[in-house]
Amino acid sequence: MPDVRIEATINGRRIARNAKPHLRLLDFLRDDLGHTGTKEGCGAGECGTCSVFVDGVLLKSCLVPAAKAQGTTIETVEGLAKAGELSVLQQAFHKAGASQCGYCIPGMVMAATAALRANPFAGREEIKERLGGNICRCTGYQKIFDAVELARDVTNGRRPASALAEEDQADGAFIGANVRRLDAPSKVSGALKYAGDMVMPHMLHMAVLRSPHAHARIVSIDTSQAEAMAGVEGVITCADVPGVDGFGVFVHDQPIMARGKVRYVGEQVAAVASEDPLIARRALAKIKVVYEPLPAVFDAHEAMKSGAPALHEYAPDNLVKHIPIRVGDIAKGFADSDLIVEETYSTQQVEHAYLEPEAGLAYVDHDGVVTILSPSQNITHHRHMLSRIIAQPINKVRFIMSPVGGGFGGKEDMVYQGMLALMAMKTRRPVRLVFTREESIITTAKRHPSRTTYKMGLTRDGRITAVEITMISDGGAYGMSTEGVMRKAAILAAGPYAIPNVKVDTYGVYTNNTPSGAFRSFGALQSQFATETHLDICAEKLGLDPFEIRRINAMRDGATTHTKQTLKSVSLTRALDAAEKAARWEAGAPISRGTTRSDLGGEGTRPSCTLGARLAPSATRPKSEVA
Amino acid sequence: MLICDEYLMPASLDEAFDAMSAHRGQHRIIAGATDTLPWAREGRAGDVEVPVLIDVSKIPELNERRVDGAHVRLGAAVPIQRFLDDPALARAMPVMPQCAVWFADDQIRETATIGGNVINASPAADGTPPLIAHGARVKLAAKRGGKIERRKVALSDFILGPGKTALQDDELMVGLECDALPGYGASFEKVGHRRSLVISLVCLAVLVKLDASKQRIADARLAIGGIGPVPQRLSEVETFLCAGPLTAERLEQAADMPVALVASRSRQEYRREVVRGFMLRALMTAVRHAGGRDILAPELEAAYA
Repeated sequence: MPDVRIEATINGRRIARNAKPHLRLLDFLRDDLGHTGTKEGCGAGECGTCSVFVDGVLLKSCLVPAAKAQGTTIETVEGLAKAGELSVLQQAFHKAGASQCGYCIPGMVMAATAALRANPFAGREEIKERLGGNICRCTGYQKIFDAVELARDVTNGRRPASALAEEDQADGAFIGANVRRLDAPSKVSGALKYAGDMVMPHMLHMAVLRSPHAHARIVSIDTSQAEAMAGVEGVITCADVPGVDGFGVFVHDQPIMARGKVRYVGEQVAAVASEDPLIARRALAKIKVVYEPLPAVFDAHEAMKSGAPALHEYAPDNLVKHIPIRVGDIAKGFADSDLIVEETYSTQQVEHAYLEPEAGLAYVDHDGVVTILSPSQNITHHRHMLSRIIAQPINKVRFIMSPVGGGFGGKEDMVYQGMLALMAMKTRRPVRLVFTREESIITTAKRHPSRTTYKMGLTRDGRITAVEITMISDGGAYGMSTEGVMRKAAILAAGPYAIPNVKVDTYGVYTNNTPSGAFRSFGALQSQFATETHLDICAEKLGLDPFEIRRINAMRDGATTHTKQTLKSVSLTRALDAAEKAARWEAGAPISRGTTRSDLGGEGTRPSCTLGARLAPSATRPKSEVA
Repeated sequence: MLICDEYLMPASLDEAFDAMSAHRGQHRIIAGATDTLPWAREGRAGDVEVPVLIDVSKIPELNERRVDGAHVRLGAAVPIQRFLDDPALARAMPVMPQCAVWFADDQIRETATIGGNVINASPAADGTPPLIAHGARVKLAAKRGGKIERRKVALSDFILGPGKTALQDDELMVGLECDALPGYGASFEKVGHRRSLVISLVCLAVLVKLDASKQRIADARLAIGGIGPVPQRLSEVETFLCAGPLTAERLEQAADMPVALVASRSRQEYRREVVRGFMLRALMTAVRHAGGRDILAPELEAAYA
């Protein structure tokens, strides 16, 4: 395997190195040279976390073979801040609050730098277009565009340099004040190290063998050929678990690695560690797993039927959790109504799509403490679970939370930290695992897909007399946060409305799909989608304005919820008033409107996507500003 | 993961052919690599072990870019972004800048090559319909018996099906020869799930030349992608557009003509709707771009503006 020779200038310094011929420029910069400000978010050119300048041209370094770097001049995010002084753009990102989790930010700063280098007078539409190759999951982009416009104006002298400084505020007054984030400089400069950026001496790289089957019995796992490969330092399976295997948030139903059978495509079956990530990947192919496929179930309704394939012995009915709520007399409520509306609502599985794929680094320290560093959103809980799984006292287990490059609930489950701990214990060496984007999507928890049947009784004047709600949610192969999600969905199912008679049932069900887990709003989204859509339909049937039907039924200060919680203050009607005003809402029932609506478009609304801002005649720089 | 034992960057066509014959059956040609690297990942080809990668992007002949009277000569390794930043190219191939701005994103366009886009033979390739509208011929070369042999194939004949071309095992695509069409009004339409970095569900390239009266189309060139296994030129529509005066009725009738061609594997009904809308908007825009008056009814002109 002849190495390729790379002689290049990187951030102003000459380098001369040999590199493996299969490396991408991204690998060369990060692993060979330690420029970890350049991130890997997808490895497929989709996300832009790896953007760098090559001979002045911005490229996605995950799509550039390292060999192409020969003879070039490269600039990474580390090269933008000269002598520790942030560039105008970096300062503008800081000022505008453009960085949140920060994982996309080095790439975003690079793309913004490229945009303003290409056209120092670029308008907002052109800026958007030039940043089109970079994805941010936190901000919604507006603050990023604000930052680029701020930097443009400061550079062009349209705004003073002081616009980049923190605004004065009264001592201790933070609400309503524009406060800069303390951690932003480390993010805009690329200095912040996420778990996948961290290295330790003698560190191994781990790769994971995953199930190709949705449901299968594991007849045998033969790791001998992988163990025998030169460069393989360790292979683990569930047989390496010394304690009581099983993790989860409410029920500990998930083994560290598949035990006896696999329950979804992508489930971890075995793992290999090597100094060379390529050897680890190649060793996976040498592990022989014999599976006996089992009937599988992919729909929550099907899984609830008798005779459906059962995933877990403890739950022959595939039920993770049923949450019932009963208030008042539902039959009487419907009898008292003038109108009954019944509909079914479905929501789909959703991936969190944080820009930082899962990553972790584990080692056993000098005192024998098993230490796991990862962007876990729940380290204390993980620590307690792992202590039992690896049969170590709690003071011999340590979790360190690394910066979370976006979580949204998706990093609450201890999906891979257990494997890292086992491998570090087995090899007595530091071990790092970095998920590929594909692994992250295939294996980690998703938002629960749901199907909700909604029956609502109303009087002619719009008052709700009764609701009956049944939500069936696909929990996937393991319990994870399903119980909590079902509780929250049930508690919020009937919305913020004062309804005298309520019957709610939420069911979380096992299927052979990817496990469902925590995701922003934690079950509320699914029920709110059903409730609010249903209210719009009811408003239409009753000839009522959608805002009005909500005001009629809104809980007010002092209301008691369906779960007997007294609410001292309820802001719903104020929120409705504000939304109505901001939307310039055209009052009336939806059916009363003609073909045109006066409340669409106008100030504050955004036009749909277009491209070609730079092709328009107005894209050229204003005459008055040509030097 | 794309794994190779050797990465070669030949400096000439001769060196490239020598490398190809030395590693016959063991090599893969790459240029921009923007499609090959994502292809070698889970869910697509998985880990791919190729003994030798031959990177042809540095070969001078493959980087040619020349407007030569009636023709434009493009090397296969010319990056897509050049259509946005080379004014001579943009004048001679008026539809290409509009195509380029919708193509992937700025960063990928800097390395993704026009030759790679053609060779991949994706039914949804953005670059191919505009090239077909420009009457592109694919220039191929092979080294046989110590001599470099060359041939040209019309692009519409070169692409045989999804991922299939008329390229022979020992051949390299060295470039394209296109009709220079300065003064034509142009329009490129594309729809996908988002704005950047998206595969076309439908894409359409339109070029029109008006006669002196501006009341009649003197020449029309249309090609469409994403609606079937291969991009295609819409010759019947072209003939119809030139057959009579430029009226709203003619444009609307022309817009209906390719609807029946939709033969994609999925979402046919949606694509039919899109095709008609794209045809109307693209024709309207191209006619305006060529200096013509508004043709469609005012509400349609406004809706598509």
